[in-house]
Amino acid sequence: MRLEKCWFCSSTIYPGHGMQFVRNDAKIFRFCRSKCHKNFKMKRNPRKVKWTKAYRRLHGKDMTQDSTFEFERKRNRPERYDRNVTENTLKAIKKIDKVRVDREARHHALRRKGKKAKEQKEAAKELEQSIHMVKAPAALQQEPSLTLPKIKVSVSHQQAEENRPMEE
Amino acid sequence: MNAGLISKCSSVGRSMLGGLGNNSQGLLGTSHEIMRMTCNKFLSQQHRTFIQMRTNLKVVDNSGAKRVMCIQALKGKKGARLGDTIIASVKEAQPRGKVKKGDVVYGVVVRAAMQRGRCDGSEIKFDDNAVVLVNKQGEPIGTRVFGPVPHELRKKKHVKILTLAEHIA
Repeated sequence: MRLEKCWFCSSTIYPGHGMQFVRNDAKIFRFCRSKCHKNFKMKRNPRKVKWTKAYRRLHGKDMTQDSTFEFERKRNRPERYDRNVTENTLKAIKKIDKVRVDREARHHALRRKGKKAKEQKEAAKELEQSIHMVKAPAALQQEPSLTLPKIKVSVSHQQAEENRPMEE
Repeated sequence: MNAGLISKCSSVGRSMLGGLGNNSQGLLGTSHEIMRMTCNKFLSQQHRTFIQMRTNLKVVDNSGAKRVMCIQALKGKKGARLGDTIIASVKEAQPRGKVKKGDVVYGVVVRAAMQRGRCDGSEIKFDDNAVVLVNKQGEPIGTRVFGPVPHELRKKKHVKILTLAEHIA
């Protein structure tokens, strides 16, 4: 039993799933599901289709070079069955997966870095440029600080006075 | 509005617009989608079926025949599939070969455009329909086989063809 990779989306194909297409030049295309197969029949290039691994690797959205990928290289020599080797391999697979997932998470976090600072800078600039949409320029001159004035709501007899600044 | 849509449906083909019929889109929108759907249908989604009487197949050995037309699929009510034997008539042959045009021969289907399920649950399909000519005992007439062959032939006891093949899919 061998876990193959889908030619279009690069996900693993487990036994019992998917379709194989054999071209006359003996090249075998394996697909994980009919979505990938139909895209292939439409002659779409996986490097241009946004949700495939090929696109993501090409455009730097996922990590491309890592030592954990070396473990998944295709080996064509069959290994003699050894119980200890099998046990160790199974344990190692779990660990390598964890390491790989951590590294990918770090890669994604690195991609997202700098967004907060950028957003804050943009917000400050917008506040500076378009404050006139929120406050009247006359009111700005009365109160040079950029925050809107706090209006104290006190009871009854002062209500007539406080209505006037609100109408401005 | 609904009457207009229904008349448009009947003119193009009701089966295709089964899903669109209920939408209350403008007529312009529906006609654009009709165009797109017909283009996509012509492009890719051909449903491949069995190899039956009058099916043309390519011959992929060096027995001398080039094209062969199936006249009977042995085994199978609807037709032959990957790995089955058929009786065929030679339609086109090379001038000096073991078979001539008009001969009735047996053949084993080695490539079929219709998908065949494998015992592990996946499916396999090839690009074209191809056949290898055999005699009544099941031994190939030619001495070479071109192109990939499936290993379904092993179960059907066509081991000789597998040994001659250049690539087993």
